Amino acid sequence: MINQSVFVLFNGLASGMAFFLVAAGLTWVFGILKILNLAHGAFFMLGAYIAYTIGGASPGSLWAFIGVALLAAIAIGMMGLVTDKFVLGRLRNVDYHYVLIATFGLMLFCEGVAKAIWGSDYYSVMPPPEVDTAVKIGSSYISLYTILVIAIGLAAFAVLELIMNRMWAGKIMRAVANDPWMAGTIGINVPMVLMLSVVASFALAGFAGGILVPNQTLSVHVGSSFILYAFLAVVIGGLGSIRGTFIACILLGLVESANATFLPEYGGIAVYILLAVFLVARPQGLFPPQGAL
Amino acid sequence: MTDASWTRSGEAPSLTDQYLLSAFGAVLVVLLFFAPELVNPGLLFIIGMTLIQSVFALSWNLLFGYTGLASFGHAGFYAIGAYFTGASLRYGFPLPFVVTLLVAGILGALVAYVIGIVALKRLTGIFLAVLTVALTEALGKIIGFTPALGEQDGLGNIPRPVINLGITSLDLTHSNAYYRFLLIACLLVIGGLWWVIHSRLGRTFRAIREDADRARFIGIDVARYRVISFMISGATAALAGALSAPWTRIVTLDQVNWLASTQPMLNSLLGGFTSFWGPVVGSVVFTSINYWTRNYPGLSEMLVGGVLVVIILVAPTGVLGILGKLRTRLTRGGRA
Repeated sequence: MINQSVFVLFNGLASGMAFFLVAAGLTWVFGILKILNLAHGAFFMLGAYIAYTIGGASPGSLWAFIGVALLAAIAIGMMGLVTDKFVLGRLRNVDYHYVLIATFGLMLFCEGVAKAIWGSDYYSVMPPPEVDTAVKIGSSYISLYTILVIAIGLAAFAVLELIMNRMWAGKIMRAVANDPWMAGTIGINVPMVLMLSVVASFALAGFAGGILVPNQTLSVHVGSSFILYAFLAVVIGGLGSIRGTFIACILLGLVESANATFLPEYGGIAVYILLAVFLVARPQGLFPPQGAL
Repeated sequence: MTDASWTRSGEAPSLTDQYLLSAFGAVLVVLLFFAPELVNPGLLFIIGMTLIQSVFALSWNLLFGYTGLASFGHAGFYAIGAYFTGASLRYGFPLPFVVTLLVAGILGALVAYVIGIVALKRLTGIFLAVLTVALTEALGKIIGFTPALGEQDGLGNIPRPVINLGITSLDLTHSNAYYRFLLIACLLVIGGLWWVIHSRLGRTFRAIREDADRARFIGIDVARYRVISFMISGATAALAGALSAPWTRIVTLDQVNWLASTQPMLNSLLGGFTSFWGPVVGSVVFTSINYWTRNYPGLSEMLVGGVLVVIILVAPTGVLGILGKLRTRLTRGGRA
């Protein structure tokens, strides 16, 4: 039982952090632009493909692996710039239905591009050699890559919290999220802030793609399970709240992991029960949006 | 929907237009009826699927285009109908086929009712979207755990039904016979939806879509009519699924996820959600794009996705909306 608990805890935290790496960009853009970007998962997928193309199937070292993920982040961030200019930037003041549908169209487009470039074959990527082993904690073996993902997730959260709560940039973003018009009148370049937020969110998606591609079968659908959990986390956490999303991701990861270990015959069902309970009992989420992130 | 140009144009088609359209519709129905004699079986299968997709898309658009609610989990209803009918035929439930279809529709309505009374009153917008996505995924998981429903492999080898008419019987085991049954059933369902939308009920739905607060002020029970719309939509989607099971003869989990749920949205948006026939036109356009690009991997997604983005950015009223605008411009130009 204790063995299993350690296993559940680490696996749960690792999935939670993986969900968070995907969900962070999603919730960021939602908090500031009020856009739920359905294409976020597709850009995560493109990030994974780009990392695979640059870094190959077996990365040479941990630093090369992280460097490749950063390159993927830059590439996807650039795509974010283009996407913002041509699509998202034009959706600032329209009904959310149209936003959902336009970003869905974008998602299809990205999948088509990925299929045309990389085909319908499956690829796989190894974790970097330094973390391709397991350590013994208690009496269960935990893969070092799992611990790496947890560490990167925690670091990403710490950086985002720092930016949002302790830095000038975060204050400007909170001001824009709260009241773009007012922020504009006091001299903040609102379109620039919005554009940079989109770029940051896309870069995060690309980075997540690079970091999370080991242990996944890389295909056009690599993002679909992550993005689904990311949506659930964004809703449970309170739309637009990074802290709420972080907690919701951990919750989802632990519930999913406990479900898979203790009730494997009904794997994957518990998170939906969790979501249903949350939506009915606390539809505003853990940290409801008050204009601030 | 605040922008006035995005709402339905109030212009009624003139009488000659109506005659032309009716004549066009009649010719189309006759052609569809004799399709088994005119096209090869592969194409006939695609035509049948387009009919089913049209009904499915119309069911979604009743919610979105006419009541202003977006369901992102409509595949769940479709799957309920498809799996129920598939199981019923495969395991030989002692139900006449028409009753099976009706029960499938009622099941869809019941599920919609439960979701409606629990969630629709407090959830709208993105919350409703995420909830419907999640419920459909959960349904997919449950089906995946159920041996009687084929788990991950789906329910295959579904026999086509024979309808007992007392003295004689209607044998639908041949694909041509089932196709004609399918055509008539789809036309009846589409006719039913047309009637709903053009009745007092449909006008109430539209009042809610235009402005829920104002509708409440004039005494419309908004929550109740939203649930009713959700139920009709769920029942129709389930019926589309139910009709599909004997046509494809296999029901799989591919039909129960959030990507499958986006198919009716796609078709409605492509064709134009502000017009009754938009979803039907969209289904035809989508099927055609898929058919012509089937040898180029990725091209159909790029085309459909790209078209969708362009439609939202340039012409949110879809293909029919663009045609309507062109027509007004041309006729105005003629008069000037």
